[in-house]
Amino acid sequence: MKTLIEIIKEHITYRKQIGKLALANLVKTYRGSALGWAWAFVRPVVTIFVFWFAFSFGLRAGGDVDGFPFFLWLIAGFIPWFYMSEMISGGAGCIRSNKFMVTKMKFPISIIPTFVSLSKFSVHLILMVVMIGIFIVFGYFPDVYYLQLPIYMLMMLMFFTVWGLFAGMLSAISKDFLNLVKSVRQAIFWLSGIIYNVQNIDIPWIRAILSYNPVTIVATGYRHCFIDKTWFFEDLGSIRNFFIVYIIMIIGAIWAYKRLYKDIPDVM
Amino acid sequence: MSQPAIIFNNVTKAYKLYRNDRARFLSLFSRKVRYKENKVINGISFTINEGEGVAFFGRNGAGKSTILKMITEVSWPTSGEITVNGRVSALLELTAGFNPEFTGRENIYLKCNIMGMSDEEVKKVEQEMIDFANLGDYIDQPVRTYSSGMKARLGFAININIEPEILIVDEALSVGDKAFRIKCRRKIREIRRRGDVTFLFVTHAANFAKEFCERGIVLEKGKIKFDGPIEEAIAMYEKMV
Repeated sequence: MKTLIEIIKEHITYRKQIGKLALANLVKTYRGSALGWAWAFVRPVVTIFVFWFAFSFGLRAGGDVDGFPFFLWLIAGFIPWFYMSEMISGGAGCIRSNKFMVTKMKFPISIIPTFVSLSKFSVHLILMVVMIGIFIVFGYFPDVYYLQLPIYMLMMLMFFTVWGLFAGMLSAISKDFLNLVKSVRQAIFWLSGIIYNVQNIDIPWIRAILSYNPVTIVATGYRHCFIDKTWFFEDLGSIRNFFIVYIIMIIGAIWAYKRLYKDIPDVM
Repeated sequence: MSQPAIIFNNVTKAYKLYRNDRARFLSLFSRKVRYKENKVINGISFTINEGEGVAFFGRNGAGKSTILKMITEVSWPTSGEITVNGRVSALLELTAGFNPEFTGRENIYLKCNIMGMSDEEVKKVEQEMIDFANLGDYIDQPVRTYSSGMKARLGFAININIEPEILIVDEALSVGDKAFRIKCRRKIREIRRRGDVTFLFVTHAANFAKEFCERGIVLEKGKIKFDGPIEEAIAMYEKMV
């Protein structure tokens, strides 16, 4: 508890720097190449195209979902995945890649995952605008269900920022952990129902486990807004599950932070 | 009487040496993992007052850098207490912390922002930093195009012009060419004359130390061997070597 208050205090003290660092982190990623900002879109576009192609033509599985073309159903869950995927591995590597802030200057470690997460989230915001644009082009205009988007966006941001602290601390001390996270990322993608509906799984216990998977909950939440037009209060079970997992994540992050923040500068 | 700027109260720093990184990771979950302790700082106490100039002497591994790191708060003591009052600027590794894709000017803003200055505050010292670094047109070029000497000059210019209350210099005066070194010395002399900046200096060069500091601390194997007037400290250190 004391550690949590300390972390929050550090965030308040450094609130101005967080914004500046998030921006710098963003600019750093995309500067230095001729296409620059375009790279923020190239990867998502290519990935989504590949999956859409494979499902629609290769597997012939891409039928309409809830009256929406498969393509739209796919991107509704894929766009949040890009942020989540970036955070799973990038969050784990965030302290390592900002090593100089830990070992060369006075700077609170707990801030690093926050600004890394915010910079990736701002890319997500731009992709969201693009996605809403695509829906409009297909003739599906924003409706009242879009109002609940901020809830799911905030849930996603909160969860993966805390994950960044947890995984960043552990990865800073152990490269094995970082490698583990990186290799599990693909698995999470295929297991979490980004490209299929987890409700279609026949085996109940698998469905039960996945109902606690934050990646699944967020992707499903986005689809509630865009595709199946469900209110979050009609699906309170997953919100409850999300917060159970979230609290466990917070406890894990605080444990890792408390245990390691004094050692990390010496080890790195 | 001036206020104490830095107080070390019975400070010990021990590094835990594990057999390998795997053992270190396992130690997170189990207290049974064995490790050796290497005490680099062993029960040190001293007080440095505001405006004082103190030189640290000692052979490699005596604990000088560790003490400075702990003052900069990038390293934590294993036991004991450290109190630091005032903004610390450390000229430890000058080229660290630059963003290679950013221009020199952007790096000035970024670095000052991280240290807690607002854009308005940076604007006031920006020109002074640029003049001091003397990079010409390169100031608006990405730092990755800089030579190592240019990076060091920019780093020095930033750190010395942010108006620190505690200035730490770790043999950084040997960057750049002769003209730049003279400029650095002049700047430090100017800061020392103002008398409100606490100055900590790690060096092997006795004549510099004598010029900037009135007090010397000699370290040996993590303990203070001598703490007193600079001349006696230098004499003691030279006898040791």
